[in-house]
Amino acid sequence: MLSQNNMSRAQVAVIYLVLTTAIASGIAIYSSASTFTILLKTATAGLFLPLLISLIVSFLLDPVVYFFEGKKINRSLSIFIVYLLFFALMVLLLLVIGPPNWKGMMQALKADFPRYISSAIEYLSSLLVNAQEHFPFITNYDIAARLSSASQSFFGFILKETPRSAMRIGSLLLLVPLFSFFFLRDSRRIMRGLISLAPNRYFEMVLDIYANVSWQLAHFIRGRILEALIIGMVVWLGLSFTDIHYAPILGVVAGVSNLIPYIGPIVGMIPGLVIALVDLGVGGQFWWILCVYLLIAQIIIDNFILIPVLISKVSNLHPLWVILAIVMGGKLYGVLGMVIGVPIASIINIVIIAIRQHRKTFNPYQRYFTSRGKLL
Amino acid sequence: MNPFWDNIFHRSGYEQTLAYFLGSMPMFKMLDKRELAFLENIVHVRNYEADETIFNEGDIGSGMYSIRSGQVQIYNRSEQEPEIEQAILQPGDFFGEIALTASRPRCASARTTEPTVLVGLFRSDMLEAVRRHPAPSAKIMLGLNRVISDRLLQCSIQLEELKKQLIDSRKQQSDA
Repeated sequence: MLSQNNMSRAQVAVIYLVLTTAIASGIAIYSSASTFTILLKTATAGLFLPLLISLIVSFLLDPVVYFFEGKKINRSLSIFIVYLLFFALMVLLLLVIGPPNWKGMMQALKADFPRYISSAIEYLSSLLVNAQEHFPFITNYDIAARLSSASQSFFGFILKETPRSAMRIGSLLLLVPLFSFFFLRDSRRIMRGLISLAPNRYFEMVLDIYANVSWQLAHFIRGRILEALIIGMVVWLGLSFTDIHYAPILGVVAGVSNLIPYIGPIVGMIPGLVIALVDLGVGGQFWWILCVYLLIAQIIIDNFILIPVLISKVSNLHPLWVILAIVMGGKLYGVLGMVIGVPIASIINIVIIAIRQHRKTFNPYQRYFTSRGKLL
Repeated sequence: MNPFWDNIFHRSGYEQTLAYFLGSMPMFKMLDKRELAFLENIVHVRNYEADETIFNEGDIGSGMYSIRSGQVQIYNRSEQEPEIEQAILQPGDFFGEIALTASRPRCASARTTEPTVLVGLFRSDMLEAVRRHPAPSAKIMLGLNRVISDRLLQCSIQLEELKKQLIDSRKQQSDA
């Protein structure tokens, strides 16, 4: 720079000053950023789950609120009406079914769970003995012992975590209605405010992307939750034809695990099959239960009816991406991450497609080209 | 007019609102006050500097703009000469309404020539409004339709005239 000799001494001094300030402020920002992120982390620690659940709840209740709004009731009032209806429905359910016998259920599960696990392990080790005859090299790999220790620690974890999760559910019961009320009432205003921050040149693109993402997300979430609900009901109904215990719990497990594509239904099937094997043995009822899980719930109801009706409108990800999203989500946030990994991956997919559509707006060299790509 | 002694407050507050501005536009003339207030909630007000590009020819459009204040130049680029000016638009004018109903590429470029406030009405908001408040949205679309069909009518009349002129000039040529 100096050798070109086209800079005055004052300019060089200014450049030195700017550079040193830049470096110093960079170091300062770097050192304070780590404490800042830690602060941010502790401040938002417990908020992720309630915010997520209230977002989902507001996506679910939105159509109902709009139904009342169409009857010329203002928005806040119609949200209150929806809340009231929901509450009344809950009370009605409790009155009809009666309050669930938590204590009895817990004690029965406490007694039964080790029994199921031990017979599953017995069955597995008999399989193992059988396998060792054919493949002698797996003798020193003690699957049964590993499984029993893992299941014991898992059971202990459940017993220990139940009171804590009850506390958390209490705080969720307080926060979720509050958050989702504001999401339902003001989400449009909030999002309009955020979108209006976009620079003029990209405003149309941002608006289009937002409309697309919110539409697809709403359909995806509503579809998924409805699907899980229906699958859970079907499994519960199907299982209650047999003598199996815990049909409602197994229905809930099947429904929740159905939220995770591909892997979830298989995992959700295992407890039902284990209980059926242990209590009922291999017989007509066992095959019926397998049939309920596989043929009726998964193939007929889910694949032929629910997925085409509820989810096919949403842009489909390739199964490879879906599985990658599940694995990565699971590594980050466990089961919750597995459930929300797929919608997040599809949001990214939608955004990429929309940006590709608007790529002309993004092209930084367009002022040198005509609309057909020739140089001006 | 003396700015100091003149009563500059004679305009009522309502005449300065966005709803009043929208009601003064030809396509929204048949909306009543309530529907204008509804429309006010779907449009976006955007502020532009002088000489800022609003959109370029060939961009995927997503809605129409109307000018609240300022000035907008509409122009085409061709390969021989850099720009052909099509129109200079003044407050109250609107442009880009073709993209409101379907995502078509823009057929001309638009830029501001002075600091400008635009009121944008976009397709995604319109679609949502149609779904959720069908009655006022139908009126808005009807007004828009009327304006566009008026333009179409003007265009076809002009086309007829041009055709006539072409035929006449051909006749004169063949006579001569």
